[in-house]
Amino acid sequence: MLKNIYTNSLLIISIILFVISCSKGEPVVVHEHEVFTRVVLEVKKDGEINYTKYTFEVEGHDDHGHDDHGDDDHGDDDHGDEHAEVELNTDSTYHVGIFFYNDSDPDNIEDITLEVIEEADAHQVFYEMTEIPGFSIAAAPDDTKDSNGNPLFLKTTWTTTSETSGDVKAYLIHEPTSKTGSARADFGGATDAEIEFEVHIE
Amino acid sequence: MLHFIGKIIGNFFYRPKKCNCPSCSKLTKSVAGISLLASGLLVSQDCNLTLKGKVVDLHNNTPLVGALINIIGSNENFISNENGFFFIENQCKGVINLKISHLSCEDYMTEFDLNKSSSKNFFMEHHIESLKEIIVSENKLKNLSLTANSYSLSEIQKDRYSSGNLANALGLISGVSNLSTGNSVAKPVIHGMFGSRVGIIYDGVVLENQQWGQDHAPNVDLNAFDNIRLIKGAGLLKYTGDTPGGVIVLESSTPKISDSLYGKTIVNGMSNGQGLNIISSWTKSFQSGIYFKAQGTIKNNGDYSTSNYVLTNTGNNEKNFNLTLGRNKILKKLKINFSHYSQEIGILRSSHIGNVGDLLRAIQSNEPFVINPFSYEINFPKQFNKHYTSSVEYSARNSSKGKWVVKYNWQKNNRKEYDIRRGSDKYDPALDLTLNTHNLVSNYQWNSSNISYDLGLFSQFQDNYSNPDTGIKRLIPDYVKVRLGSFFTASYSIFNNLDLNLGFRFEHINNLVQKFYRNRRWNDENYEKDLGPYVIRETLSQKLVKRRLIFNNPSINFGVKSGIIPSHEVSLNFFYTQRAPDIAEMFSDGLHHAIASIEYGNPFLKSETTKKVVVNLQKKEGDFQYNFNPYFTTGKNYIVLEPAGVERTIRGAFPVWEYRSISSLLKGIDVDLSYRLNKNITYKNNTSWIEGVDKNTKTPLINIPPLTTNNQIQFSISKWKYFFGSINSKYVFSQNQFPNNNFYTSIIDNGSKVSKLVDISTPPEGYHDLGIDLNWGPYDLFSNKISFSLTFDNILNANYRNYLNRMRFYNDELGRNVMVQIKINH
Repeated sequence: MLKNIYTNSLLIISIILFVISCSKGEPVVVHEHEVFTRVVLEVKKDGEINYTKYTFEVEGHDDHGHDDHGDDDHGDDDHGDEHAEVELNTDSTYHVGIFFYNDSDPDNIEDITLEVIEEADAHQVFYEMTEIPGFSIAAAPDDTKDSNGNPLFLKTTWTTTSETSGDVKAYLIHEPTSKTGSARADFGGATDAEIEFEVHIE
Repeated sequence: MLHFIGKIIGNFFYRPKKCNCPSCSKLTKSVAGISLLASGLLVSQDCNLTLKGKVVDLHNNTPLVGALINIIGSNENFISNENGFFFIENQCKGVINLKISHLSCEDYMTEFDLNKSSSKNFFMEHHIESLKEIIVSENKLKNLSLTANSYSLSEIQKDRYSSGNLANALGLISGVSNLSTGNSVAKPVIHGMFGSRVGIIYDGVVLENQQWGQDHAPNVDLNAFDNIRLIKGAGLLKYTGDTPGGVIVLESSTPKISDSLYGKTIVNGMSNGQGLNIISSWTKSFQSGIYFKAQGTIKNNGDYSTSNYVLTNTGNNEKNFNLTLGRNKILKKLKINFSHYSQEIGILRSSHIGNVGDLLRAIQSNEPFVINPFSYEINFPKQFNKHYTSSVEYSARNSSKGKWVVKYNWQKNNRKEYDIRRGSDKYDPALDLTLNTHNLVSNYQWNSSNISYDLGLFSQFQDNYSNPDTGIKRLIPDYVKVRLGSFFTASYSIFNNLDLNLGFRFEHINNLVQKFYRNRRWNDENYEKDLGPYVIRETLSQKLVKRRLIFNNPSINFGVKSGIIPSHEVSLNFFYTQRAPDIAEMFSDGLHHAIASIEYGNPFLKSETTKKVVVNLQKKEGDFQYNFNPYFTTGKNYIVLEPAGVERTIRGAFPVWEYRSISSLLKGIDVDLSYRLNKNITYKNNTSWIEGVDKNTKTPLINIPPLTTNNQIQFSISKWKYFFGSINSKYVFSQNQFPNNNFYTSIIDNGSKVSKLVDISTPPEGYHDLGIDLNWGPYDLFSNKISFSLTFDNILNANYRNYLNRMRFYNDELGRNVMVQIKINH
């Protein structure tokens, strides 16, 4: 009897194995949404027609082993790719737009800026700068505003005075706890995109 | 397959005609005089009713010849014929009490409400000598292992944690802690190991769902089980051979053979989270051995709070039920079970972050960024888990005390994780995994003199499906897994104070994995050389790899237990285990929002081999009792998750964590002490210490529980017969053995660019958690028993963080909680 049972069990196992081996199909490619792969800054000097386009497509991997967090590793995310340099003239005004894209599927590039505008209340762009004397970034008059009338900083006006340079970080913040502030920490929320560039005012 | 099951069921219900009761003929056939029952309560005098039926041996369905059926209170006696058939006539309407006797059977009393002529079969427990032993052994909880120490939770302990989860309840046992993600997701950690190194066995089958990563708790309702026990180490090769941490065994008991209905209902009300739970279980059993069990749990909790603030979006709710239909005939048992577990868990709103800059700000902040007023609402991010189980188990004994068991079990687990998303994806899960597992196991147990053997075969088929509609790349790829194997264990009681145990298990695992690799990762890791031949499809940015991975893993255990020292027990158990890497360890690929890290599997991992020695020195008698339990584990190809650089994306920088294999060493000791001061006061202590290192680099392993000591005073008051209580103090030291995985990130601070340390490694300070349990009862309430208890957790409302909680970067542990529990035994 016991032998019979085991024969039966083995038979069932082999049937299951047979069914399995044919049943699993090939997985389909996941069409990735919400992936920020490209940020574009369009910088246009007041009164001019042409704009300069700065494209940020940072993706890379730095191997630094697992136990060498020494001093020379400071700012790991800084090296590898040189920062973009945005060249500006002194005593000028610039109209700047920031745009977000998902180009993970090259045949179907998504403009996420549109979704950001659609959900204006849940988003905020913030420019954070090192000390750059005489340089300021303000919301442009035609900037998108949320339901409280707060500008999103998608379109900004940059004003320069004297020759100087400095670092700027731009963040797209999702569901910020505050829509205004002077440092990234004031906004809370989750960072969806973060780019860094240098401004050179000459 | 259907044919096979049909055969089993057919055999089970088949009733042979031949009487094989050896003592039938010996029964005296002298029958006393006959008279009618004249019940005083009887009004109607309709006395033409008949009752007919059969008397049957419960265990094998054979008819019992010559059973004497006596109508109590009268001299009427009837005798069953050679087919077990009896016929009682000229009865009046009303209740009649019957006593059925048969040689070598216990007398069976029953009452029967005779409204009209009826027929009924009576089942008798036919006590042959050998059967008596079986019944005795079936009714008592057998040791899980002859030589390895098993720890169990008492019913009171289990009920006390009825509102929590399995890991919380097991935390009462020394050497067991839990690795949690917030307060509702917890995995048990035994001797510093968790996840697939700890086996959870429920009703004889391994629970499948733990293998998806650290923030996935076992989907099982502890309230659906009667016994919860644990062995530290791979002591049960019958169930698993790859769990060097330990094995947790959840069992439900088989009802006794009798006509009865009983149940238990627990209602819990909690102040922290303003939660309410209702748990109820009912069992109806019949004299024929048929029984039916139903159990249900409903839990609903709102946002929990620390001592200072509300943890926004940490509510959870749970709806579970468990149905069992069975027939227990001692010699043959059939059990059909279905269970459904469904859980929705809110994840702290502030823990959804974008990049390491956000993580740094969270660590620097004392409080979560989002603190809203208390609410029951569960928003995003959240987890939604479902686990279904269906199983059929059949066991049969033969006369030579052998027992054969066959069991089929199907588990379906679905996990959906929701993140904070935008646009059309807003309400779509970010992760949607479905795991289907089929198990077919069969084993044969037998004894010869003082050795008992168990030999079994098992097979498993598992299919994992990652829903591609999430719009996020698969964290775990699609795969099918086939597991086949066999085990053999032998337990030998040489004489009263020397026991030996030997076990062997072999598993063959065959994984067929289909995974997409991004070209960037493919090139960075130089996969072309090793994985190139397996590419079956290419898109512009990805490659689909189809690979078969085969592992053949033997596991061995050996144990000896001796009672040589008077009133002491000494045991030594050795476990050799091989564990195939999890699919997650080999292929996970994704972003963990809460810790802002990218996790990558390692497709070249080999089976992990561990050797573990566990010693127990135990004194179980007298006022002073103790158990010293040192252990030592070495691991080869021991799989750990370690940081491996930083990946820069347009979201910002992320630390990358990769699976890697190392040589590990884990050692520790668990100490349990118990001292009974007098009949009213008992003092208990359990203390656990463990250390784990990478043998080559000498760096400590991550997530090793810190030194913990629990002190408990159990007290009762002589005057108050129905009261007992306990004061519980838990002190957890700060973990000072930890790997340094810190890294730097650059931020703009006060107008200048600075590099800041992101300290994800330093464990929080030690903490003290004081609790009080007070219990009253059981009191009689109609035909029920009712008990009350009042439990205070963190009564001092202390403020602390827990090293083993992945949410420690965001929030403190829970503040004070008062729980009122009402328990009714029906």
